[in-house]
Amino acid sequence: MTELMLKYFRDKQQKVQTEKVYNTQCPYCSMQCKMQLIEQKVVSRKKYKTIGQDNVTSEGRLCVKGMNAHQHALHHDRLKQPLLKVNGKFVPVSWEVALETIKEKFTQIQQEDGKDALSVYGSASITNEEAYLLGKFARVALQTKHIDYNGRLCMASAATGANQTFGMDRGFTNSIQEIPHTRCMILAGTNIAECQPTIMPYFEKAKENGAYIIAIDPRETSTTKLADLHLKNKPGTDIELANGLLKIIIENDLIDEAFIQERTDHFDEVKDYLSNLHLEDIADATGISISDMEQAATVFGREASGMIFTARGIEQQINGTDTVRAFLNILLATGKIGKPYSGYGAVTGQGNGQGAREHGQKADQLPGYRLIENSEHRKYIADVWGIDESCLPGKGVSAYEMFEKINEDAITSMMIMCSNPVISNPNANFVKRALKKLKFLVVVDLFLSETAQLADLVLPTTSYLEDEGTLTNVEGRVLLREASFPIQGDAKHDWKILCEIAHKLGKEAYFPFQSAEEIFEELRIASRGGKADYYGITYDRIKKEQGVLWPCPSPDEPSTTRLFENSFAHQDGKAKMAVVTKQSQSLKPKANKQYPLLLTTGRVMSHYLTGEQTRKSPSLAARNIEAYMEIHPDTAENFGIKENTLVKINSEKGWIIVRSKCSKTIRKDTIFVPFHWDENQNVNRLVGDQLDPYCRMPSFKISAVNIRPVNNV
Amino acid sequence: MRKKRLILIGNGMAGLRTIEHILEENSSLYEITIFGSEPYTNYSRIMLSSVLQGDTTLDDITIHNWDWYERNQIKLYTNETVTDIHKEEKTIQTDKGREMHYDRLIIATGSNPFILPIPGNDKEGVMAFRTIEDCKKMMKASRVYKKAAVIGGGLLGLEAARGLLHLGMEVDVIHLSDCLMNNQLDQKAAKMLQRELEQQGMRFILEKETAEIFGDDRAQGIRFKDGSSIDSDLVVMAVGVKPNISLADKAGLTINKGIIVNDNLQTEDPSIYAVGECAEHNGMVYGLVKPLYEQGAILAQHICQKDTAGYQGSTISTQLKISGVDVFSVGEFHETPERKAIYFHDEITDTYKKIIFEEDKAVGAVLFGDTSASPKLLDTIVKQKYIPDHQKQDLLQPVDPSNSYGATLDKKEFVCTCNSVSKGEIIDNVLKNELKTVNEVKKCTQASSSCGGCKPVVHELLTYIYSDHFDEKMEDNRFCSCTDLTEDEIVTEIQTRGLSDIASIMRELNWKNTEGCSTCKPALEYYLEMIYPEYEQNQDTVYINEKMNALIKQDNTYSIIPQLYSGLVDLEQLEKIYQVVEKYQLSPIALTSGQRMVLNGIKKEDLTAVWADLNMPLHSVTANAIQSVKTSNSDHLCHCDKQPAIQISAQIEKQIEFIKTPYRIRIGVSACNHNSAGATSKDIGVIHMNNDTWEIYVGGSSGRHVRSGELLYVAQSEKETIEIILAFIQYYRQSANFAERTWQWIDRASIVHIREVLFDKDLLNLLTDKLKKDQMQRKQILLKN
Repeated sequence: MTELMLKYFRDKQQKVQTEKVYNTQCPYCSMQCKMQLIEQKVVSRKKYKTIGQDNVTSEGRLCVKGMNAHQHALHHDRLKQPLLKVNGKFVPVSWEVALETIKEKFTQIQQEDGKDALSVYGSASITNEEAYLLGKFARVALQTKHIDYNGRLCMASAATGANQTFGMDRGFTNSIQEIPHTRCMILAGTNIAECQPTIMPYFEKAKENGAYIIAIDPRETSTTKLADLHLKNKPGTDIELANGLLKIIIENDLIDEAFIQERTDHFDEVKDYLSNLHLEDIADATGISISDMEQAATVFGREASGMIFTARGIEQQINGTDTVRAFLNILLATGKIGKPYSGYGAVTGQGNGQGAREHGQKADQLPGYRLIENSEHRKYIADVWGIDESCLPGKGVSAYEMFEKINEDAITSMMIMCSNPVISNPNANFVKRALKKLKFLVVVDLFLSETAQLADLVLPTTSYLEDEGTLTNVEGRVLLREASFPIQGDAKHDWKILCEIAHKLGKEAYFPFQSAEEIFEELRIASRGGKADYYGITYDRIKKEQGVLWPCPSPDEPSTTRLFENSFAHQDGKAKMAVVTKQSQSLKPKANKQYPLLLTTGRVMSHYLTGEQTRKSPSLAARNIEAYMEIHPDTAENFGIKENTLVKINSEKGWIIVRSKCSKTIRKDTIFVPFHWDENQNVNRLVGDQLDPYCRMPSFKISAVNIRPVNNV
Repeated sequence: MRKKRLILIGNGMAGLRTIEHILEENSSLYEITIFGSEPYTNYSRIMLSSVLQGDTTLDDITIHNWDWYERNQIKLYTNETVTDIHKEEKTIQTDKGREMHYDRLIIATGSNPFILPIPGNDKEGVMAFRTIEDCKKMMKASRVYKKAAVIGGGLLGLEAARGLLHLGMEVDVIHLSDCLMNNQLDQKAAKMLQRELEQQGMRFILEKETAEIFGDDRAQGIRFKDGSSIDSDLVVMAVGVKPNISLADKAGLTINKGIIVNDNLQTEDPSIYAVGECAEHNGMVYGLVKPLYEQGAILAQHICQKDTAGYQGSTISTQLKISGVDVFSVGEFHETPERKAIYFHDEITDTYKKIIFEEDKAVGAVLFGDTSASPKLLDTIVKQKYIPDHQKQDLLQPVDPSNSYGATLDKKEFVCTCNSVSKGEIIDNVLKNELKTVNEVKKCTQASSSCGGCKPVVHELLTYIYSDHFDEKMEDNRFCSCTDLTEDEIVTEIQTRGLSDIASIMRELNWKNTEGCSTCKPALEYYLEMIYPEYEQNQDTVYINEKMNALIKQDNTYSIIPQLYSGLVDLEQLEKIYQVVEKYQLSPIALTSGQRMVLNGIKKEDLTAVWADLNMPLHSVTANAIQSVKTSNSDHLCHCDKQPAIQISAQIEKQIEFIKTPYRIRIGVSACNHNSAGATSKDIGVIHMNNDTWEIYVGGSSGRHVRSGELLYVAQSEKETIEIILAFIQYYRQSANFAERTWQWIDRASIVHIREVLFDKDLLNLLTDKLKKDQMQRKQILLKN
């Protein structure tokens, strides 16, 4: 709430008359801070403010986004009615008309183009119940194989890397409370200070306790300021760097032989491969001196405990999976996992980035982290859903690949739930063109986003203030988000919308749900026996225990606070180390004559994802009114660019115009642009369409670009 | 729920610190009773030597007075010694026959000085140095006797000896080893210390073992094992302490050197804890205050059922409290094949530093002469920080807090971005309210109260502010020398007391100078007019309507300014102006930087006729108002479309005419990127960009202190541009101080805050509506006058 600083009494605001309080959880990042919206009535006006609520993860803290989250949720622009596009213009229609239109179009399209011509694009901002239901909706109500979600652009590399290495993917292998006691940590491509601000005190505490912090990032950020050693490597050279560190660790005998022997496979191959590498070459490629690498490796190897945290910096690469595995190799070789104060943390980005990747929103996945191509898994889920296994579609394609399918006319209709892919996908111009090609596009959103504007039908949904459900936070802790604020206008909860469409399509028997909790009850059974087993978790238990860390296979079992203490989740109980070569990056964009600079992207503290929500919030917009390009002053001078002036950035895929911001804290061969803005400031228009071979992650963190000043002088 | 009874045996520093922590953790859990053998409330035992040395007084070393015990509902029995603990019954018994039940018991009986078992040790004049009584005894003795001897050249012995010197006695220090403080110092430091103390007048008898104390009833001297002897009227034994564990022993608790406790400071009886010098943890008994305090914190958490990481032992460091002598020692101080040292020895300044490393961690240090690096060293050692080789020698130097990130930030830069708290705001509040901790800063300013991410920076700032390097001053907010009130206080008082003229303001608010001064008088005039729109003041302008107004000049002639919106003049207007100038023989027309023409030198008697002949709207000039809006209409070099810019400027000008502002505002609207209206050096500037957006800059100045405007917003339409600018002006009017330039106001309020207000549609409408109303009202007032 913004208080005016007025000098004169007659202008000042009146005293508060009544107050109402609504419990909820922050709609933004994976910390899922608990909070309260306080509604104060002042004469005829309502004033709102948000305050933090104590809980075991965020401990009552909120960042500037959380404090102002209500500003978008209560914004004038919130959609309150379904909108149907008639002659290129949106007109408000009733739900009945909207649902009829969907039925008619979906039926027609499936008749003309086949079942798989329909597609569903989901989100990691929705609740577990909704993510689960969306997967079921695609497979049971629409019977299409084409479903994927925006988490593909976010957590896919870490998830796949952890699955391949450990056999399981839960963001944090240890509880967040262990962080302050670790002795050394590597923060690889993670800017927690701006992305998950309320987690910072855990890291600050660790530092106070004497932990040695190593940060890997091409830029100096608020996070790297915390570090004892900042390895400012060239973008995209993280595999070389990780390999270099492990090589030093092995050659200085800082490994844990017993752990390697008993708990891992493939160490010898890794060792052999690394022994043929030369530190001089690695130093050349990464731009990191041998002595800095030695220092980092020695501390991490020698200290009694250690943790590695990774995030999008090293993951949003076309070899993101391999990069994650290269870092996990270090943990395994030093035996720093499955023990107190030692472990791995994949710092999940989105609010439900963890839960939304577990229960069947992914093209190849069924609830409980089951696989759609595993016949046992198919059988189990088909039984839970009460359908014949043969009716369960197979594996679809990843998020970006769906737009390629649209371009090839294999997909002709799409339903997008709570996502803004024309901003968040790579090669965003192409994505926009693809969406325009669709015969029928339905978008479910709070606002008329850049994506929603392309829709034929827009359905108004509810916000974090109104929509109850569970979300799984950065640790893997399942939380219950209370939400009792009155629904605005004719908006409906996501799960309700899915149920009503299913009903219209004659699939009501599979979607009888009257509350989020009823869906959760089915999710418990669907996830039972899977890797992400929620069976032991109930709403009551979450309330009582302030959240439950999965896996929790039975109501009698406690939260699993630390993973892999005795064995890893692969069949044989062993973790798999991997030989990670730099060959995997051969397709990475490289600076060249035409595009001489490397572009990397990221977040700013006051904005979130595509900015659709945060840009609507006055207090957040006030902090960053537009995108910008961070550039080293020497580089700026070389390109004739002055401070605070507009610059056109070109890549093979498109162009954008943003304002320059000079800073000596970035490498001279690299520029940075945050990704929260749309249209001509949408940096993803520059990003290429190469994808990681395992997890289909695009290369957001590195593009080759050229820049020039925008001048009409 | 009934409170449980907690009994603390021992009213000393360790016990009381524990009680303080318990009160902080949960003050409603226990009813607390304390027994102390001494007649005093808790005092600082470690300050006794400072009392002897005359650096402080006995009154000043009290930590908790009776009032504190009372306030915290703690029952204190002084002069009463607990003689028995009955574990089974959970009761204690005292030497006064009192028996009392406990639910929890803390033993903090400390230790007793060790008295050498030698003949004569019971003579008068032979004493230890531990209590206030001992201290008083020494002071008394010094008034009668001349010669003192201290047995023991350790920390306590040297401090006692220095105290006795201060009291005017001759002092011999007898020490078994050839090195002073041989448990804390290496030979080099010990010798430097000895030399320094000798210069202060202390005498040393080293490598001597005491055999007996001779004399009749009173000590007269000391004889050593080698047969030699010295005379001495007062013999102070400072040869160590032994834990006071007889009570625990009698109660059947396990003891060794001390009372055995676990990581929670619990004895084997879970209801009984022991803390301080009497407790033995992991084979260690600690006799220094810091470890005892660390134990107290853990004990308190445990006894209040909070999670604790457990007590893990302490790193011992010592600092000698003798004025003029700086000695510090921590951990290991001898080299071995595994432990390597870095030395620094400066014979000129008599400074010696040595740090011992084991691989990449510092494990001990000795500092003599300059101990300023000790906080950093201690922290590094306690936390076992990893120090790479090239940084090892940095540890010899103290941290310079003026180099920290927090200290080097610009004053107006935000430390806390969540709550927009600038460095300057923190510094002002720290100085004004004497804030000492991050928590206090958080409570007072909100900095670090949300996400907590900036806590380290706040901490750095505090360290910097309280360091010798800090010399920034708090801003003087006084309005002028006529009053002690701040400008805000004055404006508030005018409104709450309903003061409606300058005389009553000065009277009621106790103006020191009843005439006022050139600072306060115009400001008060302005505020009165803002608060009471009907307030009449001496106008230097004439206003009848928009075609009939003028500025009164000092020579009693009048000036008028034809309103040429956007600086455009057509032929008809020019014709009229020409005729008027000719007809009334006016001075030459002055062209303003705001693209207007000023007709000067109109005689009073001609004024009405000039208005009538001109018959056109005039730009009303008042002292602090908005100057005409400048556009780029005269830029002939660029072929850009100037119409949109011209229209915007005309519209803005119409909506702000006649409005008073805290200070003159200059506005410029440039039609293209050439910025020919100088938009970036105006209070408000607009540039029409070639992608059809409008960049709005604020806080620029082309005055004596040239300043570039800051980008406030990039508007997407002309309508939005106008709205934002009008709301900006109104917000400035309603919150800026008199004569405060826009840039000063922006620095004070912060551009982020101003945007938060302007981007909020409700607030924006509130402001623009208010501006409209104010303009109407102002027109009416002008008309009435």
